[in-house]
Amino acid sequence: MTDASDDTLAAPRRRFLENGFLFWHEFVLVALLAGLLIYAARVEPVFTRTKTQLNLSTHIWELAILALPMTLIIITSGIDLSVGSTMALCAVVLGMSFRAGTPIALACVFAAITGLGCGVLNGIFIACVRVHPLIVTLATLSAYRGLAEGISHGEAISRFPPAFTQISGNLAGLPIPGLLFALFALVTAIALGKTPTGRAIYAMGFNETACRFSGIATNKIKLILYTLAGLAASLTAILFAARRNTANAAVGDGMELDVITAVVLGGTSIFGGRGRVIGTILGVLLIHETREFVSWHWQNDVLIQVVVGVLLILSVLLNTLLTPRGRE
Amino acid sequence: MTTGTTTSAHPQSPGIATRTSSSKSIPGLARSLLAQREWGVAVLLALTVTAVAIVNPAFLQPANLRDVLVNNAPFAIIAAGVTFVIVTAEIDISVGSLAGLLSAVMGLLTSRDYAHLNVALACLIVLAIGTFVGAINGVLVAYCRVPSIIVTLGMLTALRGATELLMAGKWIQNLPDSLRFLGTGSIAGVPVSILTAAALIIASMILATRTPLGRRIYAVGSNVHAARLAGLSPRRIKLFVFTFTGFLVGVATLVGVTKFSTIDPAIGKNWELFVVTAVVVGGASISGGKGTIIGTVLGVLLLGIVGTVLTFLKLGDRLTYWERAIQGAFILLAVLADHLGGKREK
Amino acid sequence: MPRAVSRRTLLMTSDTFIQIRDIHKSYGGVHALSGVSMDIARGEVHALCGENGAGKSTLIKILSGSVTPDRGDVLVNGAAMRLGDVRASEAAGIAVIHQESVAFGHLSTFDNIYVGREPKKLGGLLLDRAAMRSQTRALLQRLGEADAFDPVRPVSELSVAQRQMVGMARALSQDCRLLVMDEPTASLSERETRVLFNLIRQFRKDGVAVLYVSHRLDEIFELSDRVTVFRDGKHVSTEPIAGMTKEKLIHCMVGRELLATDQETSFSRRVHPARPSDVPLLQLKNLTRAGVFQNVSFEVRAGEIVGMAGLVGAGRSEVARVIFGADPADAGQVFIAGEPLGGNSIDQAMRRGIAMVPEDRQHLGLVLPMSVGTNLTLPILRRLTRFGLTSSKRERQEVEKLIKALGVKAASPAVPAETLSGGNQQKLVIGKWLATRPRVLILDEPTRGVDVGAKAEVHKLIRQLAEEGMATLLISSDLPEVLAMSDRILVMRAGMISGEISREEATQEKVLSLAIPASSSPGAEVAA
Repeated sequence: MTDASDDTLAAPRRRFLENGFLFWHEFVLVALLAGLLIYAARVEPVFTRTKTQLNLSTHIWELAILALPMTLIIITSGIDLSVGSTMALCAVVLGMSFRAGTPIALACVFAAITGLGCGVLNGIFIACVRVHPLIVTLATLSAYRGLAEGISHGEAISRFPPAFTQISGNLAGLPIPGLLFALFALVTAIALGKTPTGRAIYAMGFNETACRFSGIATNKIKLILYTLAGLAASLTAILFAARRNTANAAVGDGMELDVITAVVLGGTSIFGGRGRVIGTILGVLLIHETREFVSWHWQNDVLIQVVVGVLLILSVLLNTLLTPRGRE
Repeated sequence: MTTGTTTSAHPQSPGIATRTSSSKSIPGLARSLLAQREWGVAVLLALTVTAVAIVNPAFLQPANLRDVLVNNAPFAIIAAGVTFVIVTAEIDISVGSLAGLLSAVMGLLTSRDYAHLNVALACLIVLAIGTFVGAINGVLVAYCRVPSIIVTLGMLTALRGATELLMAGKWIQNLPDSLRFLGTGSIAGVPVSILTAAALIIASMILATRTPLGRRIYAVGSNVHAARLAGLSPRRIKLFVFTFTGFLVGVATLVGVTKFSTIDPAIGKNWELFVVTAVVVGGASISGGKGTIIGTVLGVLLLGIVGTVLTFLKLGDRLTYWERAIQGAFILLAVLADHLGGKREK
Repeated sequence: MPRAVSRRTLLMTSDTFIQIRDIHKSYGGVHALSGVSMDIARGEVHALCGENGAGKSTLIKILSGSVTPDRGDVLVNGAAMRLGDVRASEAAGIAVIHQESVAFGHLSTFDNIYVGREPKKLGGLLLDRAAMRSQTRALLQRLGEADAFDPVRPVSELSVAQRQMVGMARALSQDCRLLVMDEPTASLSERETRVLFNLIRQFRKDGVAVLYVSHRLDEIFELSDRVTVFRDGKHVSTEPIAGMTKEKLIHCMVGRELLATDQETSFSRRVHPARPSDVPLLQLKNLTRAGVFQNVSFEVRAGEIVGMAGLVGAGRSEVARVIFGADPADAGQVFIAGEPLGGNSIDQAMRRGIAMVPEDRQHLGLVLPMSVGTNLTLPILRRLTRFGLTSSKRERQEVEKLIKALGVKAASPAVPAETLSGGNQQKLVIGKWLATRPRVLILDEPTRGVDVGAKAEVHKLIRQLAEEGMATLLISSDLPEVLAMSDRILVMRAGMISGEISREEATQEKVLSLAIPASSSPGAEVAA
């Protein structure tokens, strides 16, 4: 086990500012992922082909895009349970306004505004009214999905124009949602690792008051993060509607749990202060590959849940057991 | 304007200056009443009931009130356990999935289509499995240092999957009558489920306020470090609260699910949201140390009634689609109101 | 004090209660205690001194049973005590009153006193609440606090001093033979300290041994019978207080004579006050925060150190928080260099050149798990960017400059701030604010819990900054510090400025008479 101070001596330049937060977790994730893919290549050679993987990847992007703002939020020691419901509300707004004759592009704008509004409302309750994020988003989880149900009366809207459904298609052989995700991931990673705001996000996760007393506008950062989560949910709602050619109030049911699972699996501490975009990407990948493999190999979608749940607990358990114990 | 019921008598007590006494201006009695969140919830509950009763007096019919209690009895039982968990500054969101799993087990063990085991034995097995899963949660949280939200989130997913595997997408039917008695029967005119819930709530209240263990649960939630210094074992206490919650989920399953003639694979879904929200609305603080059983029970009743109120307001069928939206808005309002009240207090 | 003298002679022959024998404890290769031995006798107040990191708190933790030593024994009445077991320590009659975490804030006084060893009935199933109630009343009566507060209220609603009383009551309830007190007066006002001392003397009379840990040398000389000094985890000396002088004690603690200038700043007036210019850099006009403080007006000029004294709860820190933009004001205005501050946010205050070193450095001052470097650059990171991205080169340069300027002792800028001693942590907080290049510096209890050596360094730094033209507002409950450092002293009482004393006429008595409410000191003058 690497002792923090030894590490400092070994690489004083690289670890000039922060040590102790090593790449243990990412290492564990890569090992798990590699193990899974090697095993998969042996028992199901078709599964690991590039073409298969590209086809299967259509399922991953919504989860992946939502995981980015969620990573930032969890690093500030917050949480957003309402993303799945926000997705549903955005999808319903998109569908209903399209059915009412709005051009699809404008309907997308309406959906985005809805997502923005949902995020801002969460943010206001959390940052300005100062209610615990778990409580706020637990409440909006019900409220937003309830609104979606109320507006849609439980009906599904489909038959979107082809121009719209192509959003989930390919561009130069690569999936458009994937390209979007790559762009967002890059921006998030830079923002988190290289900007003052990114540093503030980490510091907030450890001690918000001390940040406020250092002149950091913690409320503004929180408001922005929850708003980003709402916007991301509206984007995924659009992508989902395009991919499945349907929009209803059940969209994104249970999505929040998948997203949080992926982020935490990726090594972001639920207590805040620690986490990285690369970890989240690995977490999303691991969940995705596990799911697809389980359903490919055993042809059983139900088993996936058991595997993912156990995976989540095991990875965090492994991580706690592997990292050296803090001072008593 | 007095400043607090006791300190005001000694504004300048010669020994130790009372720092709190100097700057408060809200009348003491009102302040201490506001500070008791249970009162706020109780008032809100009374207002809701009154409002609905005015619009539709049928709401107050004994049969309906009985239905409300029966429907919410399992939630109250689980919420009592979750209150203890939240008081220790942990959380358990696996209760809904656990209830689902236990329903499946119960159905498979007793149904005439499946094992058709002795009902008493099956009930014991259900309670044992509930307790065991709770204990696993507790061990992972207390002894393996995995955050409770992670453990129970993992359990939520895993147990839900296990339930669906067990039931293979089918409904379980033909439950024996002796089992159905737990959910539908009455003793001296009072439904079994209400009796069970009442007994467990009273037991939990005694546990919370009148036993050493109960006070230690609050102590651990209030200040883990100080608890350790006082010779308590926070690990053992946390293991206990999770195990106890698992047991209570077992009981809630036995008296709650058996009122239906069939067991649906989706049973227990979103129960955790309802229960955690009720506990928080009832005044427990998710940062630990604070929360009462009576507050939780009021919270369950309030949320439960809001859920059924819509049908009594006779606003038309279409409105049932808005049920969750109104429930969610209600929770937000409750949280907001409570928060503003709390701010004044501080 | 003739009685005390006779006690001291008695001590030479008196019976030993606890013998600590050759205790070793190390954390990850760092020796916290290496071979410490000492005795504590019945009915003595035994002071334990040493700089931060000398091993005092580790010894306390071992005595309380929350830490197991690597080697060594503790003998209670000659019999070895089981170590690393809180219950065993309790059974031996050892009670520890901790600096901060005295209590379970959500629980009542009853529960705080009895948690862990509650009186039970019905075969241990239920609490014996009647017994708890009556015993608590008896305990509080013994402490002379029976009617001062309501034992049903959550302890978090009590004052710091009252919470300490709860800790004392807990110690009494378990029939303690050794009372360990860790910096008990750190958050107490002068008057509350008096009450505490009387209680400690009461304990001593009853034959209880008291191990008293404090940085405040005056208290040690006033209270204790013997004093033990630790340095770098080793026992340096144990002597009767009669044979001790301040200079000797400091020498033992620091291991060197303090530089003449250090001592001067610590224990005497500033000899060469900075010449205050005529520009009032900070000016308050009738600042009011309803229910907290009213009509506070004063000014601080460039190069001036203005001290602010008063009892805990008089509203001093609250004034500072409003100036710094952490809390809103209800009326009145703050002017910086003659212009209104404008806006109410910490960000705005910072931009106008205000810096504040807060009272609670662990929670407000630092992000403890983050590195020394990160903490230092947290308020100025925006300045260290290139194209919106942080420049690690410029950050490194800035951090190295600050660490050097302040003399922070850290293995590397990458170690977490929480691994530093209290004094070095305080230097970090001051350093991170100096990096913002402020014109007005507010220091709230800057040397609380800081050891003697570091305290002198902090004082030197404050003086140096004032000489360079900083307008400094120094809030402190340490009266000798306020008297030694300030050009003028403002005294607050119950949310008002009760008076202002110039450097020449300032004495402890004068400050106290303005700080203590008129009712209990009839001679006090009532100033606007």
